[in-house]
Amino acid sequence: MRIFRGVFAHTSGRIGGAIVALYLLLAFLGMLGLTPHNPLMQYRIDRLHAPDGAYWMGTDLFGRDVASRLMTGIGQSFTVAFFSVAFAALAGTVLGLAAAWFGRRWDGILMRIMDVLLAFPAILLALLIIAVAGPGTWTSIVAIAIVYTPIFTRVVRGPALSLKAREFVDAARTFGSSPTYILTRHLLLNLVAPLTVQVTLALAWALLTEAGLSFLGLGTQPPAASLGLMLSDSRNLMETAPWLMIFPGVTIMISILGFNLLGDALRDILDPRMRRSIA
Amino acid sequence: MNYLMRRLATFPLVLIGVSIVVFVAIRMVPGDSITAMLGTEAGLLTPQQRDALAAYFGIDQPWFIQYWHWLLGLLQGNFGISSTYGKPVLGVILERFPLTLELALLSMIIALVVGMPAGVFAATHNEKLSDLGVRMIAMIGQSTPNFVLALLIIYTLSAGFGVLPAMGEFSPLWQDPLRNLGQLLLPAVTLGFAFAASVTRISRSAMLDVLSDDYVRTARSKGASARSVIWRHALPNALIPVVTLSGIEFGYLLGGAVIVEQIYALPGLGRMVLDAILQRDYALVQGSVLFIALNFMVVNLLVDLTYVALDPRIRLREH
Amino acid sequence: MVQHLSKKLLSGMMLAAMLGIAAVPVQADATTLHMAWSQDATGLDPHKQTAFSSLRLLELIYEPLVRLDASLQIVPAIADSWQFSPDGKELTFKLNPKAKFQNGAAVTSADVKASFERILDEKTGAAARANFLSIASIDTPDPATVVFHLSQPDAPILTAMSDVNAAIVPASEITAGSIGTATVGSGPFKLEKWDPNSKEVLVANKDWAGGATGVDGIEISVLPDETAILAAMRTKQIDFALLNDPLVATLVPKEASLQLNRVPVLAYHVLQLNPSRKPMTELKVRQAISCAIDRQEVLDTASLGEGKVTGPLTIPALATDPSQLFCYKRDVEKAKQLMTEAGYPDGFSATVIGATGEPPTAAAEAQVIQSQLAEIGVKLDIRMMELNVYVDAWLKGDFDMAIALNGGRADPYTMYNRYWTKTGNLQKVANYIDDTLDSLMQKGRTETDPAARKAIFSDFEKHITEMSPWIWLYTSYSYTAQQKNVGGFEPVPTGSLFSLAKVTIQ
Repeated sequence: MRIFRGVFAHTSGRIGGAIVALYLLLAFLGMLGLTPHNPLMQYRIDRLHAPDGAYWMGTDLFGRDVASRLMTGIGQSFTVAFFSVAFAALAGTVLGLAAAWFGRRWDGILMRIMDVLLAFPAILLALLIIAVAGPGTWTSIVAIAIVYTPIFTRVVRGPALSLKAREFVDAARTFGSSPTYILTRHLLLNLVAPLTVQVTLALAWALLTEAGLSFLGLGTQPPAASLGLMLSDSRNLMETAPWLMIFPGVTIMISILGFNLLGDALRDILDPRMRRSIA
Repeated sequence: MNYLMRRLATFPLVLIGVSIVVFVAIRMVPGDSITAMLGTEAGLLTPQQRDALAAYFGIDQPWFIQYWHWLLGLLQGNFGISSTYGKPVLGVILERFPLTLELALLSMIIALVVGMPAGVFAATHNEKLSDLGVRMIAMIGQSTPNFVLALLIIYTLSAGFGVLPAMGEFSPLWQDPLRNLGQLLLPAVTLGFAFAASVTRISRSAMLDVLSDDYVRTARSKGASARSVIWRHALPNALIPVVTLSGIEFGYLLGGAVIVEQIYALPGLGRMVLDAILQRDYALVQGSVLFIALNFMVVNLLVDLTYVALDPRIRLREH
Repeated sequence: MVQHLSKKLLSGMMLAAMLGIAAVPVQADATTLHMAWSQDATGLDPHKQTAFSSLRLLELIYEPLVRLDASLQIVPAIADSWQFSPDGKELTFKLNPKAKFQNGAAVTSADVKASFERILDEKTGAAARANFLSIASIDTPDPATVVFHLSQPDAPILTAMSDVNAAIVPASEITAGSIGTATVGSGPFKLEKWDPNSKEVLVANKDWAGGATGVDGIEISVLPDETAILAAMRTKQIDFALLNDPLVATLVPKEASLQLNRVPVLAYHVLQLNPSRKPMTELKVRQAISCAIDRQEVLDTASLGEGKVTGPLTIPALATDPSQLFCYKRDVEKAKQLMTEAGYPDGFSATVIGATGEPPTAAAEAQVIQSQLAEIGVKLDIRMMELNVYVDAWLKGDFDMAIALNGGRADPYTMYNRYWTKTGNLQKVANYIDDTLDSLMQKGRTETDPAARKAIFSDFEKHITEMSPWIWLYTSYSYTAQQKNVGGFEPVPTGSLFSLAKVTIQ
């Protein structure tokens, strides 16, 4: 509750929150089928129809309504982005903290495994996972999560090493605090700020990676829409039907704006030092 | 020094791990060198013909025997022969690497030169209009897929102005520096835009963190000037997340930038690896992934060493 | 207006200066044709390479015995003349005495014999071998004469010999084992440099028996993105380009300085059903699918109408008017009735596979078909795959339905015997055969009278569309784009770029 109030009191929090809420509402309406048109319906006489009163954002190559597809596409893209980042952040935080805390051999082994993962071409990874599991939403989620896990691991480990060496952790240790307490109370809480920023960055990346996967034909399968798929489908129609690129592009842009503003606000609210200074 | 040696000692182990994973993975993906060369015509082959081609491509034995032969070759510095290029793998990789390295460096320079001052500026003008402006541009940078940016740049230049960097034959830096920079500038801007945006955001946030830290406040209260507080005390500490991010991003770029290389028709590592995967050029995939992994590890090592340089409190040999 | 234009030009030049590039192309070597394509050759062995992109390069370097012209008639290449014996079991070629390999040696009957023996040798792994199995022995009575003895009359073999996969290579290079690494052909151009997936440099072969080439050389750049090819043509960096995607090709005519060449090709877009999988095992289900698909609409949507609805035969001289074929006019009512009769009044679910970008229209075709079949209750699930993964599944026959762009041949027997004969190599992919099809194909193989052949294949076409193992959709165009100062290019239905030999730049 306090977090909600905090977001509401924060300028960029209000804007970001409003954007994300609006997107969630649109996605929800899309899921319920409350779109201006059926997003899969091909109005064949109206192929590549420019935006007007009937089709607010025009139609695509098949005569499908772009506005309606955007609404369902938001849902699809958000699902992929949220879940993949959640998995990656969770795995990365646990691994990063473990590496920093146990140090020595564990640090070495964990970080070398991350090196193996990072060094592995993402496309080969995606091809492999998709060959085994078949293309689809969850496959994209797993592929993106695996690609980003090492990044989160490194992002958490760096500051964690730095924090671990600081006076207050040393102090807590000498006072006999349990490792769990130190890990959660001191390390994790102090990592909330960089993590939140990283999560908002990663959400943006995940949306774009999904677009990249779709560009290579490995992401969302047609005829379902995702923002990335719509954008990559528009590439060779950029000159003929610019609205096919503009609307999904702007939609992605604003959603990332929303994530980032909200993330910044959360960072300010959750940061213990900020809290201290407010208190 | 001791730490450095220990890290270097882990390199062969990681590389062996990478090589086994790649070796098995690329063979697990359906299709092989034969279907890559013949497509659906592969169905016309008799079993004898298939065997002959499998022997030709060196895929006629179980994978572990293939791996063993490959590993033996590797120990003698022989990465194998690429089936698409008909040349030694290492030569093919080294031919493409300078471009990738140059592109990665250019992008990073653009990102750091633009992103860090922007981030510091935004942090010191927290929540003011100028801060919002910087963040806005950064978000646009972060949210534009690079294929959209690349296509827009190419379209605007060619249709609007009738110019375009020389596509096709790529000139290495040492042959024709001017042409080379002309060819790499736009791709570097394309990649650098998003990279700079990330750097801006991360350095702004790190800067804000550090500015609220005790020792900075101490420095302030001791009467250090605002400028000196920011550049002497705050920035070095805010650099850690920036270094982490740039290191990862730079490492990624050293692996090649597939989509940007495709659109600008640059013969870099990214396209080479993608083509090698698509054409099931096993030797080239293995060799290049190994090479990219090694680069990654070197970059990561440098990043870790930078931590120490930036923050002496991180004692690498504490354990 | 003038002021505006000069301003635009000025800013363009400033930009060019900033980027260190020239706004005006250098005219220094005007006789080099700067060419671009998005997919590069995958290898240099003319007997082994079957990829479209490889053939386009190799046919500029190597020559077969005969060649196909723009109307698919057989014309001389290395051979000056040819003759079937009256019983159709002997085929004699007279070679062009001027034909020379690029190493200076004359092309002799021994080279022809060695080349075909290499193709027939299973150790070579030449996919084209399947077309030459009727060759029993090869005689070389003199250096300029080759006699092929056939085990049975084989009318299509001559057309098969026009393919660059039946190119004549030097016997000495075969012995040296250097085919595929060194390129010694007898064609109009020599390959001077090949940097795979980046560029090729071709120089004119001064000794070419076909005479002087129109340009002194061709430089081919691989620009993987076709939008970038168009951009490079706008700025005059590229004189000539091969395009695949109709969405890009249709933008070319909008540029005043560019010209688009298009020609209907033999390859066909098809929805392959798998009649070994339920419920496609039922004839009525397959027919219902055929009746429920509006082929023109698939073409109009996926390819922007760039192409022509076709039956199985895409060879203009043999093709039947598609409106005569089974259910080529969409009939949803009939389709629904057929589904009910087959016991599927509520339809069924199936998966359709397609290769990403191969052809570029694959995903779009799948989506239109999906929407059309939904009207008779067939719920399609689309799976787009990387090309090789797709080929693997396709060869194993591991699919319910597949969207494909299958290559065409100038002879219907060569084109279809792999699928629609009982011993066809790809029968395991087609999964459908009946006695009528098999016997029509065998008759078509041995018949040499053109009129009788046309009748046989017309029956074949009617029968197979009625059995509907596959739903033939349309043929598209092969596109090349060029600057208007490039002259003399003649597009052909096989997609061959051979006429680049006579192209000039004004």
